[in-house]
Amino acid sequence: MKTICKLATLTLMIFAVSGYGFSAAKAENLERGIIGPVNSNVSWSGYSAIALVPGAGLIPVTSTTTVFYLGFTAGSQVDITNMVLYTTARGSSTITAVTPVTLGGISNPMIDLASATVCPVIEISTFNPCIVRLDPTKIVLSALSDYYLVVFFTASDSNNNAIGLTAPQFQQSSLRGSYISGNETQLTVGEAIPSSLTFSNQPYCLMYVMNN
Amino acid sequence: MKNLYKHATMMLMTTVLALSAFAQEPVPATALANLTEGQGVIASTGSQAWDGISEFVLIPGASLMGASSTTTALYLGFTGGSEADIGNMVLYSTARNGSTVVKVTKVTLGGSSTPSINLTSTSVCPIQPVSVTNPCFVRLDTVKAALSPLDDYYFTVYFTLDTNNEKISGVGQSISPGALSGWSLYGDQTRIGVKGALPTNENSDQPPYFLAYVTNQ
Repeated sequence: MKTICKLATLTLMIFAVSGYGFSAAKAENLERGIIGPVNSNVSWSGYSAIALVPGAGLIPVTSTTTVFYLGFTAGSQVDITNMVLYTTARGSSTITAVTPVTLGGISNPMIDLASATVCPVIEISTFNPCIVRLDPTKIVLSALSDYYLVVFFTASDSNNNAIGLTAPQFQQSSLRGSYISGNETQLTVGEAIPSSLTFSNQPYCLMYVMNN
Repeated sequence: MKNLYKHATMMLMTTVLALSAFAQEPVPATALANLTEGQGVIASTGSQAWDGISEFVLIPGASLMGASSTTTALYLGFTGGSEADIGNMVLYSTARNGSTVVKVTKVTLGGSSTPSINLTSTSVCPIQPVSVTNPCFVRLDTVKAALSPLDDYYFTVYFTLDTNNEKISGVGQSISPGALSGWSLYGDQTRIGVKGALPTNENSDQPPYFLAYVTNQ
């Protein structure tokens, strides 16, 4: 009986360990991201890059977190003042929620594009863009809402004058984007996404929206 | 300690019983699923002479739709011709939005990477003759690899320099390319090795000529 009990304990532990191993979330797209080669768009000091993640484009993958990936093609250091995710009703411009977005736990990170731990292939270029994974944002994207990721690149900053953001060549992504001068990360619930933005192009900088 | 063993035994028995209960459910056959959005409309303009030409088709990881699969099936579509003679077929892997080859996977039909496809055979193309209204889709052997959203893939097929390939035409160049895009180049482009660079796509996001669908089976 003692041996049976021992074997049972061992088997149970194997079940527990293997179950834990399988529970890690596999990386999946939540939206069709940027496809194909990219161009470079430079000099972003004092600008906000705004990407629309339309609820209508969501792939039905179950996820409790959302991970954004930013793409860079030039520069040595990116200085970000703030990053947020605005939620609106589908097709609406009125903000219903504001969610902070972070990298390394902070919403005003400095990204060292010259570091091989950040960008494995140095020197970065349109041929080898550097893709930076932001911290998982604790938000479940809903098909009933639209989302706007806004990244404001610090103004009067020589680093940001030299950076290049990915600018998609192909027009096959579900993501759309625009940009505007000034810090557009300070909008609050009830305010509106600027009406001057058209979102007729693919986004600068935002490359992928995934569950992990 | 004795109590621990007893509890463990009880939990194990519960687990076994629960698993056996689930095992009574019939195992569902794997359903056909698109891994990415294929071409939605068939066109007829893929009719250049294809002898001695390779087609590249980008299958972007960023477009994969989350269907869980350990295999990948590629479908070629034809709208004309009597025989397609293929010199080689491969699937290149690159980093997402990168151009450097990190892996090369052989692609086959009937176990051969140099097949001849008889488009006038009803066992290959049930409705004859093959045309835009009756396109012929040929399912290549499933590639025993799962596509990852963290990579991009380039399916490359080289059509042998012969008279048969002067007359074949593909289903592509449609107005509804899905997530696929392709371009063609002279010569056998299936011999690029790992760490080699893929040639520049000069056709931008044009739909592919021959690759129509990418599914799990």
